[in-house]
Amino acid sequence: MTYPRFGGSAGLLQRLRPVRIDVADLKDVAQEVLPALSTPTLRLHLLQRPGAGSLVVLEEDERQLRVHLAELADDMTRAGVRPTHEDIADALAAWVARRPVTDAAAATAGVAVLDWSDRNETAIGWRVVVRRGELALPWSPSSRTDATTLHGTRTSATGRSHGVPLDLRVEGPVALWSHPEVPVLATAALVAPERMLQRITDAGLAMADMQVVVTPRRPVACAGPAIAARLAGETTEASVTLPWPRLADLPWL
Amino acid sequence: MSALPSGAPGPEVLVPHWLAGAQRTQLATAVRQALTSRPVHPVAVIHLEDVLTELHVAAARDAVWPASAARVRLATGWDDDVLPVRLSAAELSSVLALAELPAPVRGLLSGNARA
Repeated sequence: MTYPRFGGSAGLLQRLRPVRIDVADLKDVAQEVLPALSTPTLRLHLLQRPGAGSLVVLEEDERQLRVHLAELADDMTRAGVRPTHEDIADALAAWVARRPVTDAAAATAGVAVLDWSDRNETAIGWRVVVRRGELALPWSPSSRTDATTLHGTRTSATGRSHGVPLDLRVEGPVALWSHPEVPVLATAALVAPERMLQRITDAGLAMADMQVVVTPRRPVACAGPAIAARLAGETTEASVTLPWPRLADLPWL
Repeated sequence: MSALPSGAPGPEVLVPHWLAGAQRTQLATAVRQALTSRPVHPVAVIHLEDVLTELHVAAARDAVWPASAARVRLATGWDDDVLPVRLSAAELSSVLALAELPAPVRGLLSGNARA
């Protein structure tokens, strides 16, 4: 799963002609912003090393990130972040918000969704994500996660997916499911396709042999086989169409 | 040697026709009127029903994957409600055979460029 690392999209001109983010400016901002973003469990600080350049250190439970300040500045330049105090501070906050998900957060707040299982976007599988505001970040189990914990976290996440409220829009013979704030969560309802079918039927749409058309991070479409084929067959965008009983057989990623 | 194609026919080619919301409503109204007001050949009925389905599917396609149509709208300056409605040759012929089809919609479906 890939995410823009520094939040909102920069303008085209800004990305084509980025202005360099100076390491010294980033350091000034980091010294001010990092303490404010820290919490009792999330520790953020600058590690100053004479002659070797500073490191940003992020520690939360079992997760630890150490990133060269110069590297972060280069990444911000490439992402088209403007070199103002405010924009650098926003980019740094967005970078912290996109930090790795801890095992504890996944266990207590994880939600199961569908994601691409390969870079070429040809197959999908289940993944645990954790919501942070308008983001949903993927969880990668740490090396200390044993099989029992892994199973428990995935099972709890699947349970939580049942409770994710989704909007249903009926467009003729097609039912469309979306999440009003976090697009990644649109596939959460697929943990219980029978409940989706029931809601579709309650909305007045008969759907024998329901197929689901899934593009992770986009609304989910449900329709009969011929209509699902017409829907997905006429777009250049990647998607996976499958009969709903096969959802339970998809692997965990 | 036979020049006839063998085996099952390949998937039909669907050609996009860019129609605004009001034009899609006019197209749907004309098709429904034809289907309910007089006897229509059973094969044409299937094609016309598929046109009604496509009008919904076009809207659904845009809801799931809005980027490609949005790029075309940006390049052409068309309004936000202009969507590609994808029809097979048989579906298009069935629609063009309807006397009640409004002239501007007929013009767009016949291949005349959008204003």
